[in-house]
Amino acid sequence: MPDALLLTSAVAVNVISLGWLALSMDAHWEQVRGTEPLQRSTVRTLRWMGAAGLLVALALCLAVDHASMASLVWFMALAGAALTIAFTLSWRPRVLGVLIAWVRRSPAGVLR
Amino acid sequence: MFQNFRLTMAWLHTWFGLVLGFVLMVVFFFGSLSVFDREIDRWAIPSTRFAPQPMPSFDKILKPVFEDMRPSAENIEAAKSRVNGPIAQSFPVTKSWGAYTTHRDPVLSLFTGYELPNAKDPEDTIWGTRTIDPRTGASLPDDHLKIGSQFFYPLHYSLNWKWKDLGTWIVGFAALMMLVALVSGVVMHRKIFRELFTFRPKKHTQRSALDLHNLTGVVALPFHFIFAFSGLVIFGGTYFPVTHTQLAPLHALHEKHEAAETGLPHERAGVAGSLASVDAMVAESQRRWAAQGMAGDVGFLSMQHVGDANAYVSVYRAGTDRIALVGNGIHFKASTGEMLREDPPQTAVASVNTFLTGLHLQHFRHWLLRWLYVLGGLSGCVCIATGFIFFVEKRKRQHAKQGVSGARWVDAFAVSTVTGMVIAALTMLIGNRLLPTDLAGRGDWEQNIFWGAWVLAFVHGIWRTAPVASARMAPAWAEQCWAIAVLGVAAVVLNGVTTGDHLLRTIGNGYWPVAGVDLAILASSAIAVLAARKLHRRAQAPLTASGTDAGAAASLETARA
Repeated sequence: MPDALLLTSAVAVNVISLGWLALSMDAHWEQVRGTEPLQRSTVRTLRWMGAAGLLVALALCLAVDHASMASLVWFMALAGAALTIAFTLSWRPRVLGVLIAWVRRSPAGVLR
Repeated sequence: MFQNFRLTMAWLHTWFGLVLGFVLMVVFFFGSLSVFDREIDRWAIPSTRFAPQPMPSFDKILKPVFEDMRPSAENIEAAKSRVNGPIAQSFPVTKSWGAYTTHRDPVLSLFTGYELPNAKDPEDTIWGTRTIDPRTGASLPDDHLKIGSQFFYPLHYSLNWKWKDLGTWIVGFAALMMLVALVSGVVMHRKIFRELFTFRPKKHTQRSALDLHNLTGVVALPFHFIFAFSGLVIFGGTYFPVTHTQLAPLHALHEKHEAAETGLPHERAGVAGSLASVDAMVAESQRRWAAQGMAGDVGFLSMQHVGDANAYVSVYRAGTDRIALVGNGIHFKASTGEMLREDPPQTAVASVNTFLTGLHLQHFRHWLLRWLYVLGGLSGCVCIATGFIFFVEKRKRQHAKQGVSGARWVDAFAVSTVTGMVIAALTMLIGNRLLPTDLAGRGDWEQNIFWGAWVLAFVHGIWRTAPVASARMAPAWAEQCWAIAVLGVAAVVLNGVTTGDHLLRTIGNGYWPVAGVDLAILASSAIAVLAARKLHRRAQAPLTASGTDAGAAASLETARA
């Protein structure tokens, strides 16, 4: 069932991408990483990755369905992804730490 | 009147949202259920629990059934006021036959139109309907209500209030005002992007309800906008009935010109005609679709001017693989089977129209998208419900001080609409499983149970929201959540007991239409339990901090149901 697999990946990539975009905001970064400051360069990287991820998700949708159907699936999945990220941030924010595991904990927070 | 534009928008959003929110709640909830209307039909009529079937042979199966059909007793009764003198006993002139199916239908819906003798309006038609098992042609009892497609679905767009189409007009006005509410909501909301992912359940109820209202409103904003808009487009003919009022003569003339252009006869010839093999016409249509790279099944098959020399057959393709609701119709002369016309490619305007219509009516085969539509619809329910809760929370202390009961009444209406509606739907399903199969007028009983349960929920809502008048929390929400939990489990158990299709069997056999309905009901019950427990905890917490609370959890839960 490659279609089901592609669509599942599209949904997952949408969630991950919106997670990155959310974490590029100070308030949500703080929910996950506490007082450790969010660097400007990290913001930029997160935003680029988020945007690129959304495009990848759209491409995955396009691989399954023709353009009008695929864009609708992508868009509706985006709404679901936004709710998923919002509720994760409300109840289990630390879970989203996996999305930024590659961002090294800077000593700056400690030094300040 | 107001100091600035934002305050004007806030007034508009608050008051129109409040009044029409009750209508929109019904529209959103039953719209969400309608995404799976055929599956709910299977649950409600166990004898139709088999695999979806393609359009059967017209020559062997459909023709004898069509010939046997008559106008329904209900339609004859309704037509009595539309004729001069007494109503006719027979309806010899058949205007049209139609058969309609989708990729989710095991049973086939047939309808027939007849000339109404002595009609006040000479164009008037009286209709007959029947549902058959397409494998054998056997009829299903007419009074077995298809709860999904014949009750929940029309409730979504007409409130099932058919008198002068009043329900459809109310829903249309609510949809129009919803577009206004969405725009004014965006104007009011200062931090759309900055607070896109923000929901703070631990803050006081007024704040967390507003968070959830904004969240569910914003993430599904384009969905809500396009669905309200396309709903209006679908009923454009009802809301702007110019073709049958001011412009009726022009419309009639246009029909004649169109008939001349398409070669499809507008009138009967008045001479009896024969009927060639319709199956051959269907085969030819499928060959033509395949040649154009869009092989497909027949979704709609119809014949106009039945039995006349001018009779013609139209074959439409089922749109399972596209969003736009297009039939790629091919039309044949009934007496010879000669092709009269193939629908040309659409104009730009028609393409937009069929896209919007198809987007809303969902004929496509895409289960993920279907579920995402349910999510969009339910997020609309949460948005409206949290709007009510915010309204009440913002005012109840002040109202209590002033000794006015406004907030209490809004809470009573809110609980009866939000949780009461779920209770009514579940009670109807329970009634469906308990009423004897051969009970006369079974479908009417089921509908009465639905409305009766809703009235009871409403009475309970008015009674148990009294504490809101003194700025306390209404016990009605938690109690109705418990009712949902119990009713949901009862419905699923009764389905298993009365039909033998319990979850172990339906899941084991992969029969998802019924398993899915059962699982969705159980999920609603589970969420109702969580919500009720949370509400109890809040009620028992000392009346400090956020004390009074008919919380966001409740609204979330009901929307999920």
